[in-house]
Amino acid sequence: MNDPPHYRFPPASAYRLNRCLFALKSDDAFRARFLKDAQAAMSELALDAEEAGAVARGDRDALLARGAHPYLVFMADLRLRMEREPVSFEFF
Amino acid sequence: MLVGAFACAHTPQLLARPSTEDRDLVLRVHAAFARVKRRLEALRADAIAIVAGDHVEAFFLDAVPALAVYVGTECTGTFGHYRYRFPIHEPLARAVVEQGVERGFDLFYTQHAPLDYAFYIPLHFTMPEPAAPIVPLHVNVYLPPQPTPRRCYDWGRALGEILRTRPERVVLMASGGMSHFPGTDRYASPEFEYDRRLLEVLKAGRGRELAAITGQELDKMGNIELRTWATLLGAVGEAKAEVYCYEPSWHHGNAVVEWPV
Repeated sequence: MNDPPHYRFPPASAYRLNRCLFALKSDDAFRARFLKDAQAAMSELALDAEEAGAVARGDRDALLARGAHPYLVFMADLRLRMEREPVSFEFF
Repeated sequence: MLVGAFACAHTPQLLARPSTEDRDLVLRVHAAFARVKRRLEALRADAIAIVAGDHVEAFFLDAVPALAVYVGTECTGTFGHYRYRFPIHEPLARAVVEQGVERGFDLFYTQHAPLDYAFYIPLHFTMPEPAAPIVPLHVNVYLPPQPTPRRCYDWGRALGEILRTRPERVVLMASGGMSHFPGTDRYASPEFEYDRRLLEVLKAGRGRELAAITGQELDKMGNIELRTWATLLGAVGEAKAEVYCYEPSWHHGNAVVEWPV
């Protein structure tokens, strides 16, 4: 039971990064702006260059190392894929 | 009065199926949802009180409630091209928050917040015809520190007492689970044996044991969402679970369960 938890307390230093992932997950207008021009969209949220690079690349390990919430990383990626490859989903 | 109690998986892949998700498995879970829908119609539910864990949709890090009640007139949520709008049973929601606070639970409430898919994916498949208004009840599962399973169980016991004194025919639904680890290295290796053992405990009517599980154990077993089940179990006591389905996909233990009340 000494392993670190899968879902850790989100460090306050990662607030803006998590805000960006939250916006990609839940804000359709922000996601559309991101898909059009990722750097311009991320500049709205004042991410630093390393954070913006990790988000743009979808670099999960780098995002988690900077305190991103694993679920937000996961769902931001899924929602972006739903926009980029909608035909690969069967909708019920 | 409390007339029914159910637990439902809410995996988004059940609604929007990617090619990586086994179609037959998805359809078997849908069949279990269809059984729940028929039961809700037979029970003539006036309202569905649904306990779910927000997936950082209504509540971001600006304010993180442990336990919350939606007390609006309606609630809405969107997921891709899906658009949901549900009337809220406002008198029931207000009674839950007022009487919950009176019983010592410092509940957060909101009159306007986006509805998370943990609420509307089960309702997409199980909403009876004619439709019933809902009362969304939030339990924090994703943003540590979460409420302990015991706290959830105790809140559920109070919630059950509140619902039983009401004139409406209320169905209680817990949304969530079972084992899954989204966004972590464990995503492709959930703890299915843990789920199966737990379902045996619930089938034996020993739901109270869930209250004694630690938050650390839930995290380790990919079952942080079982706080919603713990809440329901507080309300149903020692009723023996009937498992409609347990369908482990490559990343998620999908369960649909009913408890007699």
